[in-house]
Amino acid sequence: MNDMRTLERIVNSEAIKISARNVQVHYGTTQAIKDLNVDILDKTVTAFIGPSGCGKSTFLRCLNRMNDTIESCRVTGQIMMDGANIYDPRIDPVQLRARVGMVFQKPNPFPKSIYDNVAYGPKIHGLTRNKAELDEIVETSIRKAALWNEVKDRLQSPGTGLSGGQQQRLCIARAIATGPEVLLMDEPCSALDPIATAQVEELIDELRAQFSVVIVTHSMQQAARVSQRTAFFHLGSLVETGETGQIFTSPKDPRTEAYITGRIG
Amino acid sequence: MTDATSGGLSAAAQPKSSLLQPSRLMKKRNAAETRFKAYGIAAIVLSLATLGFMLVTIFSDGVSSFFQAKLSFPVELTARTLDPKGNRDRADMVKITTLGYNKVLAVAFEKELAARGIAIEGQSAKDVVEMISKDAAGSLRATVLANPSLVGSTLDATVLATGRIDGYLKGRVTMQTAERDSNVTPAQLQLADKLREAGMLTSSFNWGFLTMPDASDQRPEAAGLGVAILGSAYMMLLVLVTCVPVGVAASIYLEEFAPKNFWTDAIEVNISNLAAVPSIVFGILGLAIFINFAGMPNSSTLVGALVLSLMTLPTIIIATRSAIKAVPPSIRDAALGIGASKMQSVFHHVLPLAMPGILTGTILGLASALGETAPLLLIGMVAFVDNYPAAPMEGFLDPATALPVQVYGWAQRADPAFIERSSGAIIVLLVFLVAMNVLAILLRRRFERRW
Amino acid sequence: MTVLFLLIVVAVLAGAAFVLCRQRVMASVQGDPKLLHSLPMYYGWNGTIMVLLPALGGLVLWLLIQPMVIEGRIAAALPPDMMAAGGSMDLVMSDVRRVAGGLDVAVSTGAMTAQQAATISTESANIRDTLAAVGVALGADVSPAVLSAAQDYRVMTAWGMMGRTILTVLLALGGLIYAVMITNRDFRARNRVEAAVKGLLIAASSIAVLTTVGIVYSMLTETLNFFAQYPFQGFFFSLTWSPNFRGDSELGILPLIWGTLYITLISMLVSVPIGLYAAIYLAEYASKSVRAWVKPLIEVIAGIPTVVFGLFALVTVGPMLRDYFAEPLGWGDSGSSVMTAGLVIGILNIPFISSLSDDIINSVPQSLRDGSLGLGATRSETIRQVVLPAALPGIVGACLMAASRAIGETMIVVMGAGAAAKLSLNPFEAMTTMTVKIVGQLTGDTDFAAPETLVAFALGMTLFVITLALNIVALLIVRKYREQYD
Ligand SMILES: Nc1ncnc2c1ncn2[C@@H]1O[C@H](COP(=O)(O)OP(=O)(O)O)[C@@H](O)[C@H]1O
Ligand SMILES: [Mg+2]
Repeated sequence: MNDMRTLERIVNSEAIKISARNVQVHYGTTQAIKDLNVDILDKTVTAFIGPSGCGKSTFLRCLNRMNDTIESCRVTGQIMMDGANIYDPRIDPVQLRARVGMVFQKPNPFPKSIYDNVAYGPKIHGLTRNKAELDEIVETSIRKAALWNEVKDRLQSPGTGLSGGQQQRLCIARAIATGPEVLLMDEPCSALDPIATAQVEELIDELRAQFSVVIVTHSMQQAARVSQRTAFFHLGSLVETGETGQIFTSPKDPRTEAYITGRIG
Repeated sequence: MTDATSGGLSAAAQPKSSLLQPSRLMKKRNAAETRFKAYGIAAIVLSLATLGFMLVTIFSDGVSSFFQAKLSFPVELTARTLDPKGNRDRADMVKITTLGYNKVLAVAFEKELAARGIAIEGQSAKDVVEMISKDAAGSLRATVLANPSLVGSTLDATVLATGRIDGYLKGRVTMQTAERDSNVTPAQLQLADKLREAGMLTSSFNWGFLTMPDASDQRPEAAGLGVAILGSAYMMLLVLVTCVPVGVAASIYLEEFAPKNFWTDAIEVNISNLAAVPSIVFGILGLAIFINFAGMPNSSTLVGALVLSLMTLPTIIIATRSAIKAVPPSIRDAALGIGASKMQSVFHHVLPLAMPGILTGTILGLASALGETAPLLLIGMVAFVDNYPAAPMEGFLDPATALPVQVYGWAQRADPAFIERSSGAIIVLLVFLVAMNVLAILLRRRFERRW
Repeated sequence: MTVLFLLIVVAVLAGAAFVLCRQRVMASVQGDPKLLHSLPMYYGWNGTIMVLLPALGGLVLWLLIQPMVIEGRIAAALPPDMMAAGGSMDLVMSDVRRVAGGLDVAVSTGAMTAQQAATISTESANIRDTLAAVGVALGADVSPAVLSAAQDYRVMTAWGMMGRTILTVLLALGGLIYAVMITNRDFRARNRVEAAVKGLLIAASSIAVLTTVGIVYSMLTETLNFFAQYPFQGFFFSLTWSPNFRGDSELGILPLIWGTLYITLISMLVSVPIGLYAAIYLAEYASKSVRAWVKPLIEVIAGIPTVVFGLFALVTVGPMLRDYFAEPLGWGDSGSSVMTAGLVIGILNIPFISSLSDDIINSVPQSLRDGSLGLGATRSETIRQVVLPAALPGIVGACLMAASRAIGETMIVVMGAGAAAKLSLNPFEAMTTMTVKIVGQLTGDTDFAAPETLVAFALGMTLFVITLALNIVALLIVRKYREQYD
């Protein structure tokens, strides 16, 4: 790739945050993920790339058990996070999702005020004791999402009234307000214009200091720009995973190379 | 996560409690979740249980109306009473009223009791004879007048027992209630037991309930649904022929031809509001316009059908429009593309494809019209009608009643035997409604098409 | 000629027009339909329409106008003191029509010759007895003026019948000739036929509007009649309802409105929570198979006629409430009560609320649920704090519609609420509603000149206005809500 930043990036070797072993996902009778093994590092941005329909979103949703909400979906295998299997029947998916936040493809602010959007998570998880603390969380989260200057004067106006890019950053603020350890992002920029995309990408880079970020993206440039590690999916299986620089410059698998050079996808 | 110092982002930095250990708050939240879900299940169970309870009470009250206690004994049709002139001329015999036939029945009944050796200790002859329905004389008279040559012979008659005796066989009337009831005595019930043993008093399927006309307050045992069923059938037929063509034509116009303008908008708003107008208002309309203004006959099925048609029209239009809407535009384009006119594309292609949907909607609309009561009360259909309406065309102008109105009419009567009839009428009504709905479902299944 | 026979004649002419026009146009192209503008059939149909349209139009107009003209002339000829002597114009006219009808019957059964019927007079015979002999019963002896008016009526009706026949047949023939004349190979018959069909479609779609006009017109005129006899303030502001056909009625609507609203309130307290929770469970929790069974089962409730619920209220719910609640608690001893009617209407409205709410909840975008669940909210938190607020306008709309149905419900209150107009807070007492009183005042023997009868129209008008307003507001809210997510 012609983006030279990829090569210069220093990759800190962090601890493993999530490790998936033999994950299979079925929707009814069709298999969406086949026998997938991958490790996701803490304080690192991991990008999932691959042609559409190859199961990136499906796998991402396994990581915080959002797939539980789909009736026909069955997940088998093991996904360990901090030493516990998140598919253990004793695990409460609700509690898990507070620690593994998610940002969706289309910005989906609640039809409430900007403040209430961000305060929603801390409120339901009982993170604060009083209004002052809540105010503080809301402000820090919005600041973290690089949205504070744009909305500080209209925190009470509806979140749906913001522009697309602002809405998406609001959703990110909403996700980090619950204090997650992992942040899952499913094509967070696909509904945004280039300027908004650049803002969100910059934000992702900053979030890396605190979270383990997993981002699904269609754009290889984006993967190259924001991620330290990249995983390439194809037809429901993980083909190759490694440091982003290595994947983009010297892929080991011919399918990865074909995809990166634009022959499949 | 209840950690006091935790504030959003700083919380992330702190070590978390194990995922396997639900926090206190989490337990509370999960309990709330379980409760919420339980409310939902409770709501559903409650509504279905109420529905079930209602249907069960009505069925258990009403099923017995399909059975009827009858007395059978030979009746000697004495010529002296029934045909005093002895010429077997119908014109002369018409002059003998039911009083004469009552006498004949009474004599025959007592004679049979005596012949069988059934004692009637402690009861007057009048009490004994009163176990025969007041309807019996009338029906015997009709039989004899239809065939005057019967006079003089002995007929093996089967006549209705009175409502109280009927109720005794069905368990509605007991010795205890009989003591307080001026219409029946415990002695009569004891006699009824003996008659049952002797085989004179039997209970059998009550065809009369489905065929006979309504009867007066003193003769619940003779009251039937004949006129009501006929009236409802007439009205459904008329609703079908008036409402469906108009409804379909209106839908075609609105869906396919109407330009977007004030008039079309007015019609649209109108239809959706008409669908929500209380049904009784249509009754007022019928009374004011069809009866008082246009001078159509009170209680007639024609007026009833017109009112029901106006009421059903919005339903049919809404159903038809959605059926037409469901036909994909590509079909119209294909027809127009080979040079058909708009009208041809609609009548040759769109309408046939929309037909199953239209039919289903029509049947459901008819079903709701069949169960409608309130507007019919206002146009006089609650009146007591004991003559069958004539055959169609002029029969549409004859007074009649309708099934749901008969349910209401009987429910208003004092005698509890009529509550049984009322529930029985509901069973008949529900059978018709279920049949119509099943038909609609079958049609939908059979012709359902996914584009 | 009777109307039926006339219609047959017109139909025959219409058929003839079809055949003639079709033949003519085929002849004009020597039997080669390819040269025609339209299919041959359309030329035929054009002929049929050209016969039917003017002939039937003329006939209908004649039928509408003739009675007015004749009655106007009869009324003008009647001695003016007849009106003064008692009875209104309408009564005299109906006497005239009855006598005239009686004479017709007498002639048709052969009891009188046509000659006799035209010349008979009150001095030479007792008309009442004569007519009674042929089965026409009259309420009183026939006055000479009425008899002569009836004879005039018969003459004019006979002339009218003749005129009607001639006019209709002429119009039909004219249409036929015109249609045949304009038929040629270039005539755009299909466009003409389609225009006529379209006219028919428009007429059909206008019936809905006509119905509304009819409702408003009929109720408005009678309501105005009512207010001409009974003061406006007395109706809207009086606290007593005690109609009395001998006069001195007090017809205050307030007790009826109170009963109506009280019953509606109780019904909403039953139907909204149950309906809403059922909808939430079905939309958010139930598996596909449970939903496929339970949803139609709940909707069965909506398919059951209201008179069935009425009987349920009368026979089961009312006595149960009386025996287990009202009497032990000393709150009353009546089976019919606000509670009975309210509960049963509530049950009736459950499927209405639940299926509307179900639709509305389903139209809340899934992305909002995902957003909330993704933050670690439980399902119930998601529903209460995200889905329901988003669906609120639609649900409010559904509730307004349910309230409007409860207000307009008739059979259940007629059978379960009672007939006594009362202003009381005790829900176990029998009270009454507007619809009960509409039924009460308009069934049985009614005198359409008395305010006690006419008040039903004023009640109907009030009911119509209230339910219409509720529905319009509901529709607006729901429409706004739909736009939000479309
Ligand atoms: N809710 C669902 N029900 C059934 N099949 C699904 C569902 N979601 C995704 N799939 C199927 O799973 C496969 C993977 O989809 P997805 O994970 O959305 O792909 P990606 O995000 O990589 O484009 C696709 O074949 C898709 O059709
Ligand atoms: Mg995807």
